[in-house]
This record gives sequence, structure tokens and C-alpha cells, in this order.
Amino acid sequence: MKRSRWLGLAGLILIAPVLADDVTIADASREAFSQPMSGLSETELAAFMRGRTLFRQAWVVSPAQDIAAGLGPLYNRLSCIACHAKNGRGQPPETPADRMQSMLVRLSVPGVGPHGGPNPHPAYGDQFNEEGVPGVPGEGRVNLRWDEKVVVLADGTKVSLRQPRLVFTELAYGPLDGALTSPRIAQPVYGSGLLDAVSESTLFALVAETKPDGVKGRVNWVWNAAKGGIALGRLGWKANMPDLRQQSAGAMIGDLGITSPLFPKQNCTPAQTACQQAALGPQPELSTAQLNDLVAYQAHLAVPARRDTESPAVKAGEARFAQMGCAVCHRPTLHTDAKAADPLLAGREIHPYSDLLLHDMGTGLSDGRPDFMASGQEWRTPPLWGIGLAGKINGKVFFLHDGRARNYEEAILWHGGEARVARDRFAKLGASDRMALQAFLDSL
Amino acid sequence: MQSNSHDAGRRRFLTGLAGVTGALAFGKAYAAPRPVVVMTSYQGEVMDRFEAAFERAHPEYRLNILWRMPHDALPWLEKPEQGGVDVYWAASPRNFERLKKEGAWRKLGVDSAGLTDKIGKNRLADADGYFRATEMAGYGFAVNTSRLAKLGLPVPADWNDLTAPKLAGLIALPIPSRVGFAPVMVDIVLQAYGWEKGWALWSEIAGLSVLVDRGSTFVTDEIASGRAAVGLSIDFFVASAIANGSPIRFVYPGHGGINPGQIAITAGAPNPDGAQAFAAFVLSEAGQRLLADPDIRKLPVRPAVYAGLPADYPRPFVAAERGAYDYDESVGLNRLTLLGQVFDAMLIRRHGELVGLWQRLHTAEAAGKDMSAVRRELCTPPLTELEAADPALMRLYRDKVEGATTAPGDVEARWNALCDSHIARAMQGLAEAVA
Repeated sequence: MKRSRWLGLAGLILIAPVLADDVTIADASREAFSQPMSGLSETELAAFMRGRTLFRQAWVVSPAQDIAAGLGPLYNRLSCIACHAKNGRGQPPETPADRMQSMLVRLSVPGVGPHGGPNPHPAYGDQFNEEGVPGVPGEGRVNLRWDEKVVVLADGTKVSLRQPRLVFTELAYGPLDGALTSPRIAQPVYGSGLLDAVSESTLFALVAETKPDGVKGRVNWVWNAAKGGIALGRLGWKANMPDLRQQSAGAMIGDLGITSPLFPKQNCTPAQTACQQAALGPQPELSTAQLNDLVAYQAHLAVPARRDTESPAVKAGEARFAQMGCAVCHRPTLHTDAKAADPLLAGREIHPYSDLLLHDMGTGLSDGRPDFMASGQEWRTPPLWGIGLAGKINGKVFFLHDGRARNYEEAILWHGGEARVARDRFAKLGASDRMALQAFLDSL
Repeated sequence: MQSNSHDAGRRRFLTGLAGVTGALAFGKAYAAPRPVVVMTSYQGEVMDRFEAAFERAHPEYRLNILWRMPHDALPWLEKPEQGGVDVYWAASPRNFERLKKEGAWRKLGVDSAGLTDKIGKNRLADADGYFRATEMAGYGFAVNTSRLAKLGLPVPADWNDLTAPKLAGLIALPIPSRVGFAPVMVDIVLQAYGWEKGWALWSEIAGLSVLVDRGSTFVTDEIASGRAAVGLSIDFFVASAIANGSPIRFVYPGHGGINPGQIAITAGAPNPDGAQAFAAFVLSEAGQRLLADPDIRKLPVRPAVYAGLPADYPRPFVAAERGAYDYDESVGLNRLTLLGQVFDAMLIRRHGELVGLWQRLHTAEAAGKDMSAVRRELCTPPLTELEAADPALMRLYRDKVEGATTAPGDVEARWNALCDSHIARAMQGLAEAVA
């Protein structure tokens, strides 16, 4: 197959002395998360572009002449890009009155649901959909309020930490009493193909390693809808998705109400009669070919290369990162499976700063909602690659699953459980070390 | 009429209690915001910014966005009571005019102080007060200056600069019948240079171009990568890419044109007060300033807003004073779809052959041969301007708006046959010239 060297626009804006390879791009512009990998063939590039169109496409209510018809009946936003702005991370609403534009709330009730996953709420399902197509009441409104507390670092610096409370209003299908809730901001999209290509054996080896500071780490076992069986989880805040294809199809049905060959049923619960009776267009609303393109787009978004790696502050911060034990979970290097299905992604050394494993992060971060094998306190180590560009690309940045952290410092101070020792080491650092750590994270 | 799903009056008003830390609710009596249903075809970035800003400015209202391309919006808005829609906000002048004739709008009733009713030859406000432009987008060229410099070509200043043979394969041309903004671009050239010379220009430009289809590459991709040196585009796509770091430039040609985005309140609006609040917000200084967001980059219609924008932000009202916007969109209003179809028949359908023919013609001309007869064949459209203005023909096309697809009919078949004969004669002429 002919491979073209795809010079994305960002390839022209070399910032750092870091060599880009054909899955990484030296780009520090606001389009750094939106570039195709340079090693794509012409055929792959065409699929990437079709997928990009779908990712940006606003879906419309059926019936319609539009190719992107079938929104809802219940949904959160109109498009993928609405939550993953510029393929980056989402954020919580700025004020308690603001709507959730790029985050959502997962729902369940105690117990185990189909295939061992969360047990959906009988009236609202497994995700709170604020919007409904005409004639179908949206499920209601959810707002965030914040409780603040102050922690004091060893040098006397005070840091205010905030924790969200959810406030549901206008509930259209009855009370949500007893519901387990988990607010989650959208995760970055770039690099997800590479994470998807990390082998099971790599993750098992990481689990088996003896780790310092009481760090453990385990894999999640989740439902693979395509194979109809249990599979290892790699993607999502709780590693609750087995692969990028199911992640994409799951978001299409969960966030947009778009059916696909993987999830052919509309997202209506038995209590939602108007939803069940809503007019439908041709099914599934996302074809196999479209799903393929959507996956190809996300899988082939390049990872931005590091910047300023020779800066003394960055080097000092990198050393601190390792010394504090952060790198035990935020693993700088992983290898993708040499036999991964996509040759471009196979057999690569990658630098996601994640081990893709679940870790107990303590009660402070617990959402109290089990997700397959993951408990409320367990979260997958989120990859840090590209994190230094998040502010430039997405404006204000927020970290952790619900966007409670407004900067790196707050995010680190929320770490508990297996990460408690590392967190306490951070709290003892002086200002210059903390700044060096920030410089390092900014370089990712 | 469709029922409005977000009508708070019909929604069970319950304050549910759930959350990470327990059951909590707003501390005071909660009044659900009233929905304002906005039908639009604007890209997500526009709607996200306006949604957030409007709801913050007017917490008593909540936007409910119904996204539909113009051709899909039209039948919805032709339903009784406009299908429950409060506001239509889109860049589709034909829809606004047609729906006005059908009595779908009520008077906009927004304070027009500080707004202007015209730019160049284009009206920004409906003469009868039913709708008003909220933003503008201009047409022009995305350019890769270093690529042009390597070719020894200057940055093009107008459409006729795009016929340099050195540009062969280096112009990115959106297919007018497939890419929503492009039909106006065709008409700008036809109005600026006249029907015959305009089509001649288009033929030569198309012969030097690579085609950009809907859902494929972006013009900005082609220019930034250097695969093309000049891309024909509407300005905001390019301006946004530049604002996000793309190393390209955008040039407004001497003969420019604008496409206005407009706003109207439906006659049957369930929430006319909310609709008016939204329209007023979009036209306010705060709303107009949002248009300069790096991810939007459209042109405000409130002239005073430009004073607060960066020095390099386009100034369309200044440009209009020197005649840059003499394109009259009201002339083109009924023929845009027709032009897209003619473009298809003449320049897209056999584009690969057209490229080859122009290449051979340019080579022959460079060798000093008189190729005027072949040029005539390649440049002649399948119908005259008079024929294109035939009311019966206009009727066939005027109701097909942006995004509509048309099955080839007798008319197109006739055009195809005529164009085929032109191409055949051009081939013959070229063969004789090089013999």
C-alpha cells in the first residue's frame, strides 16, 4: 500500500528539538490534538478525513434528508466534537447555573447489570441525557455545585480544593433517589489508537510487577459487545471499555442516541414511552463503514511531541516526578503489541505516562459507583501525554474525572489510596520543586 | 404542530437528589428556564459559544438547538406554526426569503441602533423588518505564500490571477454542488466578469485545480501542507485555522462577495419573548464580539465592534467602501443551485479530462500556437445568461437550497451533451494543433 508522508499543517511549526515519528507530531499550535499521524497511507488518510467529518458532524432529528440523521431520542450533545473540543478534554460548567457542555453523569443503581457492568437505573438508564428530540422529554437538568476545603502544604502554602455536588432538577421520569452517580468530563481523543494497541500481556506484566509505596494496580474486566464475552478494559475513566471501537459506538448511543451495528437498540428505558415511540429513520443510524471511519479518525490522531525537553527546569521536574513515585503509575513508556491489527500502531514504544491500570485513589476521589470490576475508588491512570498543551488548546483546563482540579497542584493533592505516599511527598516539596514539576508536566 | 419537548410547563418539576456526597438541591425556589428553540446549521463552535453566553446573560431562558442543513430546515419550518421553532439562524438567504413569502416570520423587533442595513450592494436587513444579518462571511483565497514564491508567482489579487499555468494541480477547488458555501463563489465571478468571461475563467481555474468534496480534506489542509498553493474558500474556515496556528494566509480578492448569516423569529414562536431576547443578544455588542473567537472568526455586522478587534482582523465595511462587495446576492439568490449544476456538467463531471486538455492547451500556447478556437470550446457554458434566466428553468432550481441533491434530469442531460460536444471539439482542435 502506498504510504504518503502527510505533512499536517502543524508539521510546519516545529517548536521543540524532539523528533517526531510517524505517530507523533511536533506541533504546539491549537491544532496539535487534531493532526493525522504522518505515516498514514492515502487510503487511511481518506478514512481519517471521513471520520473527521463524522466526528465534527452535528446529528439531526429523524426523519431528515441529512446523512447524519437519527439524533436521540435522548441525548447529551449534538456532536462528538461538542464534548471533545479540538479533540481535547472536556470541562465542568463554570458556574452552578451553567449547563454541562462537555461532561456527563453516569447513572446506576446498586447491584450488577447486564454482562457484569453497572446496573442501569430502571427509569433513566446508565447515563443522564438532558436533551430529548421534539416530543420526547429530556431526562432533566443536572448542575454542579462545589464544596471547597483548604489544605496546607509543608511550606505553608494554602491550596483550595473543591469537590462537586450534583443537583438534579426538572426530572422528567420520576425521582433519582438511591441512584449512583458519576460525573465525568470528556477525555482527550488523540493517542487512543496507540493505547488500544497495548497488549494484554503488557498489562498483566505491569500488574505483576512489585511496586513501591503500596502501589498495586489491576486490570478491569469488561464486556466486549462485538465478541459477546469478557475482555480486558483499556479505555475510559474506569478502563471500562475494551477497545476504541466499542468506546466510539458506546459514546454514539450514550451521548448522541445514535445506533450502530454494535449497539442497535435505541437508548430508551421502559419508563420512557415517548422515547420508545419516537419516529426513527433507517437503522442502524451509524453504518459499519461510518463506524470504521470514526474509529480510524480517532486511532490515527497523532500525539503531540514533547517540548522544551532540554530545559533545566523540565529536567529537574522530570527527576522529581520519578523520585516522588508518580512514574510508578504514570508510566513514561509502554510498548504496543507487535501483532496489533493496525500495522502503523504495532510494535511501537509510546510515552503515554500511564499504565492503563486501575488504582485505588482513596475515598476523596471515590464516586461510589462500581463499573465492572472497578470500585468507586478505583480509576484508570489517565495518560498525561499532551497535557501541557491542554490550556492552550482548550482554554481553561480541568483535571481528574469530574474536572474538580483547576491545575496540576490540585490534581496531585486529590490523589489518595495507592497514590497517598506520592501525594504526601509532593505536599512536602518547596515552591521551586513544585514549579519544576509544573514545567515538566507542561512539556508533555 | 410538534410538541415542544422542553416546555417546562409540561415537564414534571422535581428536584432530584443524588450525588457523590449526598442529596442536595438549590437553596431557593427553582424556576426552570423557558426554552428557546433555535434551528440552525452553524458549526458546533458557534452554537456552543452562543449557548453558553446567552444562557449566562439570560438565565431565564434555555437554548434548545435543532440542527438542520438549509434543505432540511425548509420543510420543518414550513410545518404549521413552524414546527415549534422559535428562531431560525442560518446562512441561507434563500430560505429566509422564501419563508418570508410564506408568512413564516414575525417582525424581528430588535433595536437596530448601531446596526447598518447595507454593505456594498448587499442588504443586511430585510426591507420589511422580518429578518436581519447577524454575521457575514467573505470569499477569497487561502494561500501558501512560500509555495507560491517557489513557483515565482505573486499572491493572487483577483480571480483572473488564478489562471497562471504554473498553478496546474495547485488550486484547491470546492465542488460547488457539494460544498454549501461554494455556489455563491461561482456567482461572484460571473457577476464580476460577466457570464461568458466568468465561465471562461471558471473553466481555466477548474482545469488547474484539484477538487475538494464534502467530507474529505479541508481546503486549509491542502494549503498548509503545501499540496496546493491556493485554495478557494469562505473566510472563516481559513481565519480560524490561522488563529489556531496554521501558517497560511487569506486574501480577499478585488472582486469579493459576502454571504450573510441571518436571524428571524417565527410567526408561530412558542416563546416570542425568548426568541427576541436571543436575536437581540446575537446582535448585541457582547454577541457580536463572540464572532471573533479563534474557533469562529466570522465578520460582525455591528460596525462599532471592529474597533475592539485586532488590527489584522478583516474590516468588511472599510473594504465595501472601495467596492470590494459589489456582488449583489439578491441577483444570485434564485440561480445558485442552477449554477452548481452547470458547473457540474461543464467542469466537474469530466474534470480529469478537463485538466489534461488545459494542460495541453497551455503547453501549445507556450509554444506560440494560436489556441483561441480550443479555448472557445473549453470556455463556453452549455447555456447563455439569457437562457439561464428563463423563468421556467429558474423554477426548476430556485427551491433547491444548500445541501439539496438533484437527480439528473432532461435539462442536465442536455447540458451534458453540449459540454461533451465542446470537449470533443477541443480534443480535436488540440490534436490538429500539435499534429
